Amino acid sequence: MKLLVRAELRRLLATRMWSALLLAAAVLGGAMFGAMALVGPENFDPPMPGLDTETGLRAILGILGYTAFVPAAAGAIAATSEHRHHTAAVTFLFAPRRGRVLAAKLATYAVAGLAYGVVLAGSAGAALFTVAAARGISLGMPAGTVLALLARIGVAMMVYVLIGAGMGALIRNQVAALCVVIGYLYVGEPVLMMIPGVNALYPILPGGATAALTDFTYLADAMSDQLGSGTVPLLPPVVGGLVLSAYALTAAAIAVLIPMRRDVT
Amino acid sequence: MTIEVSRLTKRYGDVTAVRDLSFTVAPGVVTGFLGPNGAGKTTTMRMMTGLVSPTSGTATIGGRPYRKLARPSRTVGAVFDANAFHPGHTARDHLRVYAAMGGYPDSRVTHLLDLLGLAEAADRRIRGFSTGMRQRLNLATAMLGDPRVLLLDEPSNGLDPEGMSWLRGLLRRLADQGRTVLVSSHALSEIQQFVDDVVVIRRGELVAAGPWSRLAGPPLVLITTPDAADLAAALAAGPAAQVEAVSADRLRVRGLDAPSVADLAAARGLRIHELVTENASLEQLFLRLTTDQAATR
Ligand SMILES: Nc1ncnc2c1ncn2[C@@H]1O[C@H](COP(=O)(O)OP(=O)(O)OP(=O)(O)O)[C@@H](O)[C@H]1O
Ligand SMILES: [Mg+2]
Repeated sequence: MKLLVRAELRRLLATRMWSALLLAAAVLGGAMFGAMALVGPENFDPPMPGLDTETGLRAILGILGYTAFVPAAAGAIAATSEHRHHTAAVTFLFAPRRGRVLAAKLATYAVAGLAYGVVLAGSAGAALFTVAAARGISLGMPAGTVLALLARIGVAMMVYVLIGAGMGALIRNQVAALCVVIGYLYVGEPVLMMIPGVNALYPILPGGATAALTDFTYLADAMSDQLGSGTVPLLPPVVGGLVLSAYALTAAAIAVLIPMRRDVT
Repeated sequence: MTIEVSRLTKRYGDVTAVRDLSFTVAPGVVTGFLGPNGAGKTTTMRMMTGLVSPTSGTATIGGRPYRKLARPSRTVGAVFDANAFHPGHTARDHLRVYAAMGGYPDSRVTHLLDLLGLAEAADRRIRGFSTGMRQRLNLATAMLGDPRVLLLDEPSNGLDPEGMSWLRGLLRRLADQGRTVLVSSHALSEIQQFVDDVVVIRRGELVAAGPWSRLAGPPLVLITTPDAADLAAALAAGPAAQVEAVSADRLRVRGLDAPSVADLAAARGLRIHELVTENASLEQLFLRLTTDQAATR
């Protein structure tokens, strides 16, 4: 197992995608988030509460959470790479126990996802505190709370890498996996939320679980306002994280079990 | 280490790719695995390595099924797809991934890059590799674990004559070291110069197996000569040669090889303008084997 993880790490680190991903984390966290903080949510269109309020701060952090499609896409690309480049046969020649190969991949992507999350949350935190100091704003929450939220966003990113990887391992076709993962996050779930009754499921859907993990209720509240329904309560953060991980592991488990005896041609 | 295929059958829906196939592959020799397109060669080799599950029957290597080998890449090196690489990896990256998987040191990677003539291309991305370089990299990957058994599916595909002679030399060396070498091909002419044994299949079934020298039959030589009549008479008088006049100045001789024909002509002072050894094609082999079978029935 240690050998397999080392091999998958080497496989991942040797690609350009990996460096591009870390760069994306720094750009999203440092540049994009920094720019948003610099402009200030009060100057957004439509305007949102400012950084000196708790709502405003939570909202802008929640938007950071919405970049989860980047690690999800990366996970899907990594997990479908062997199918796309026909290296799966070579890999299974070296490691005929296919379930272990997939387990090693997930372990590797979890580490990579965590690295992504650390860079994203770290650069975003640095940007936020720098901007606040520069603009002379006292943030709407204590620094400790902000850091804890950033840490949760970082963890959410890791889980999204795994969700993408799990779906990729299941679907195998790279383009299809990317369409499903990004399509669901951006189109599928918002549409589901429009359907009365189904939106009660929101807390246990990936988006709702992410919102719970990052304490981001802005969107859910806006939606309940619009639909005139009562507020949909989110899960506690830890449970949200567990629900997210369960999605990733379920996709991965199905992916492990189905192709185990599938012919590799 | 012997490969043993026993009553192997693989069905894909209505298509039976391999039907009740049995044969063995011995160590120390190069064995050619021959059959026309769609005969079931790739399917059989994938079943040998556990990539495809047989419908029935077994394939073992040194007495064990592939999936039961303790460290399979130490025992068996196999090459299937000529193009199984991440295009963004360098040759060294690719080998290092599989070296890690098999637990082999980086020094082994460097050694193989040297051995297979890839040292200069080692740090270039594979996307820019030629077919010949890809085949070499495939072989390097298969040889990471210094395996006793090599299974190569159509390794001659896309190789130029120089690449072919290089491959011939390599396979000969590996077999001489006592390894088991199985090489598939759909074209007899491509591998007949370097196989010791052959296994011939068609439509998933065994046609013949054994030493090539026995199956190949007597050599066939085409002669262009202005002294056709005299040479024909001289050859016919000689030992076990069948002579056939193709045209006024051409003869086809079965049972004597080119040097013997040339020597005989020289001894009689007869002129030879052209002397060509005709390579048996797979089709001719099938024809002969099936007529032989009919004859022995
Ligand atoms: N995955 C598959 N699904 C359905 N049919 C298949 C599959 N793989 C192989 N076949 C069929 O099985 C038969 C044998 O194919 P195989 O690839 O083993 O032949 P081959 O001897 O390697 O041919 P070639 O010289 O063209 O490589 C063919 O009729 C092929 O169409
Ligand atoms: Mg084939």
